[in-house]
Amino acid sequence: MILYLSTIILLVVISPLLLSFITQIKMFITFKKPISIFQGYRNFSKLMSKETIISEETSAVTRVAPFLILSPLLTVLFLLPPIVKGAYYVSFVDAFTITGLISLSTFFLMLLGLDSASSFGGMGSSREAFISALVEPAMILTVFSVSMMAGNLGIGQAGVNLASSFPQKHMASFLFSAISFFILLIAENGRIPVDNPQTHLEVTMIHEAMILDITGVYLAIVEMASSIKFIIFASLFASLFMPFGLQFSVPIALMIFIAKLLIICIAIALLEASTAKLRLFKVPNLLGISIVFAFLSLITFYVLGA
Amino acid sequence: MIIFFLLLPAILMFIVSFVKTDKIANLLPFVSFTIIIPNIMLFKLPYPYHLMGNYLIVDKLGDYVFLVSSVVSIGVSLALMTLHKHVNIKKRAYNRFYRFFALFWLGLILSTLSNNMGIYWVGLEFATLSTVYMIKINYTSTAHKEAWNYMIVDTIAISIILFGIILIYASAKPLLGDNAMNFNALLAHIKEIKMPFLFEIGFAITTVGMFIKLGMFPMNLWLADIERASFYPVPALFSGILESAVMIGFFRFSKIVMQIDFTQLFGFVFIYSFLTIFIVAFLIYRAKDFIRLFSFSGIEHMALIALFWVSGGTFAALLHFGAHAFLKPSLFLSTGVLESKGKYHMAGALRGYKGIKGKIFWFIVGLFLLAIVSVPPSPMFFSEIYGFGAMINMAKHTHHMLAMIAAIAFLLILLSIIFYRFTAIYQSMKYGGTQEEKKVYSSEIIALIILAVSLALLLLPQSMEYLRSIS
Amino acid sequence: MDNFLIGLFLATLIISIFTARLYRLIFWYFVNSLMLGLLAVFIGIKVHDNALIVSGAITLVLKALIIPYVLKYLSKKFHLQRQITPNIKVHYSVILIPAILVFTFFIAEPISHMLQANPNDISISISSLFLTLILMMEHNHVAPKIIGFLTLDNALFLLGITATNGMPMLVELGVFFDILMAIVIINLLFKDTGVKA
Repeated sequence: MILYLSTIILLVVISPLLLSFITQIKMFITFKKPISIFQGYRNFSKLMSKETIISEETSAVTRVAPFLILSPLLTVLFLLPPIVKGAYYVSFVDAFTITGLISLSTFFLMLLGLDSASSFGGMGSSREAFISALVEPAMILTVFSVSMMAGNLGIGQAGVNLASSFPQKHMASFLFSAISFFILLIAENGRIPVDNPQTHLEVTMIHEAMILDITGVYLAIVEMASSIKFIIFASLFASLFMPFGLQFSVPIALMIFIAKLLIICIAIALLEASTAKLRLFKVPNLLGISIVFAFLSLITFYVLGA
Repeated sequence: MIIFFLLLPAILMFIVSFVKTDKIANLLPFVSFTIIIPNIMLFKLPYPYHLMGNYLIVDKLGDYVFLVSSVVSIGVSLALMTLHKHVNIKKRAYNRFYRFFALFWLGLILSTLSNNMGIYWVGLEFATLSTVYMIKINYTSTAHKEAWNYMIVDTIAISIILFGIILIYASAKPLLGDNAMNFNALLAHIKEIKMPFLFEIGFAITTVGMFIKLGMFPMNLWLADIERASFYPVPALFSGILESAVMIGFFRFSKIVMQIDFTQLFGFVFIYSFLTIFIVAFLIYRAKDFIRLFSFSGIEHMALIALFWVSGGTFAALLHFGAHAFLKPSLFLSTGVLESKGKYHMAGALRGYKGIKGKIFWFIVGLFLLAIVSVPPSPMFFSEIYGFGAMINMAKHTHHMLAMIAAIAFLLILLSIIFYRFTAIYQSMKYGGTQEEKKVYSSEIIALIILAVSLALLLLPQSMEYLRSIS
Repeated sequence: MDNFLIGLFLATLIISIFTARLYRLIFWYFVNSLMLGLLAVFIGIKVHDNALIVSGAITLVLKALIIPYVLKYLSKKFHLQRQITPNIKVHYSVILIPAILVFTFFIAEPISHMLQANPNDISISISSLFLTLILMMEHNHVAPKIIGFLTLDNALFLLGITATNGMPMLVELGVFFDILMAIVIINLLFKDTGVKA
């Protein structure tokens, strides 16, 4: 039990670190002076100490929404596959639950954007709705097909099964779902080909547009939620698509897990540094590829058994 | 030794085409006459004779097709001498045309005599690719577009053939090992194959590829467009040599598949060729210029040959095949003269010839034009009679006699549409239109006479006997 | 491992259907051929077939190195249009491609049961055959059609190595020779684009 809770606390703690790490690598690649890896924590403490101003136009939703954005994601953290051997894990939660909880969080994020009654907020919300509507089917299909390969629909159990007996003969469909999930990871977390979290350009921003009107503690909570969302996806990718290292003792397994997270971060940073942001109406193309691969993985698994 | 002589004319032509003198165009046709040597040598060999290990074979069928295609290539290369008199062509383009003609020929000799599906395919693909450039010799934007068109369509068709060949190979490999691509080995052991279904699928896919290449049912128009865009020797080569090579592949493949599932093969080819003839008959009725007309007619004859072959009329199919291979190239070659004034004047095309050469020319062309629609002395008449007879014969043993008779009657109606159109064209060529002076050169006359004599030789009892002995 | 390579083969093919840039398409062709060559070498080592290893090595050199390089060189030399938007919109491809895959997987099922080879290899190679046809259909420009043709050849080669563990050596060499010939012809066709009439 202690192992279980402490891994979750660890995930929460290191989550801002990863986003700063991505920024750091990107700045390093583009010959800028990198920011500190602890920039995430600094931002958080700065926002916490700032005064919280709420627009007069808003309703009660704005006061509630940040917590409701964060809480489903925190719940998902409890349902992830285990990181180390011997930890507790929830074995019966399947793809629908996790996707549903993530979409619940997205739903409140969109409400928050709409509630600010500014034009940017509504725009951002509509874009977010547009993208998350496309992400969900692919996400369900992907996680579903991976858990089918593992032989158990529960994601936690699937992660354990994959780590203990890797499905050698389903390598092809495994690969397809990995491709699909990686695209989803990028799209759902607002990384570069889909959204650029660092700019405030009205033509491009999605996530930033929705949280433009909130400040202080609320903003800190929403930022925390977005970093937790990233770590949820990253750790799902790490435990479902890089299923190794679970059999070692606790410290080594933890180190392997963090190394996997860092590898994912490096991959994302390289991708972000090398590609330009897609036009918003090209985003469905990218997500379409992801859906195709998710579907392909499922039918390859079912029809061919490969 | 024989393989050297077989490939000698093509290689010689390839080398000579690099010589950059003006007179080379007069020398090149005579290079092609060297193909007579291997022809004579092949006829003296005991059948079947294996060349290059087991990869090439000289049997009666291959020898016949090889002879036909060599006669055609001699005729075409003779007619090529005066190509520049009828169309705009540069001297340099001439050499290049011969260079790719040589490559084309090389590929087709390989695939005609191949005893191995792989070699057959390689030769066919090689010939196809070299044809692309032969189309491109006509220096217009249409020809350029059609050359690309040909490249794309034909490579798809030929890839489909390879797909089928791989399936056939996969079906027979457990039994025959590396020999599974060998036509003769397959023919001998086909009944022992454990997966005849896979073999049939492979055959069906191969046949679809070949039929696309011949311009059959769904793909009727592309061949005519391409032949229209290129210079007239190219369609002559297509109809005389390339289609012969495709056809001999069809013969060899279907001979094997006849052993395992005859009804399916027959139904497949029957429906395919029936639809083809149905569409092509109306396309011919609407054809507005010579090359399209002849090209559609070629598609029709190919469908008929395939039909006769699968209904057991081997002799009829081969006779029809030979007659078509001699007639169609000569008609295509004569379009050079027929269309030389203006572009598409059909009316009066047979008028305005002066002198003895001119008279021979229009006489021969008129005869050919009537022979292609099976007016009696033509070998096509006999072959069609034998072919329909074979179809009836085959239906005699089944319960589908009435259906077969109805089908033949319908086929005859379609053929009569084509017959009507051709005779109408002949009449307008001879009696309609205005009299324009056209010039005929002796090389063309010689080419036409060679082809006409070979056509007449087909009717000799000895050659008929030879064809009958091929089974 | 061969499952992994075949998966990547199909994946690159699907991505190249969505690609709208010529150089990117050439890159995906390169990855595609690379996977094919590695697969041939891998299977050749597994079944101890030297001919297959040799043809895999030829594939690696010819299709993964020379042909992409030549294609890129040609497209630079003749200023081919680099923006190649597919005719089939991505929204439709998203539906079309899975439909084709399901269709071909079910078509291939009876075939693949007859062969002792891995059934998914054959289904994937047949479906990649169909996908290359889509790739050729959806473009108006010549260059992607050429790449489609070359990929079609890759798919056939894949079928050859998975269904039959390689064709006879002479035939394989002939096929490679024909590919080279195709490249020469393509070069010539591009070269004489200067049209008179």
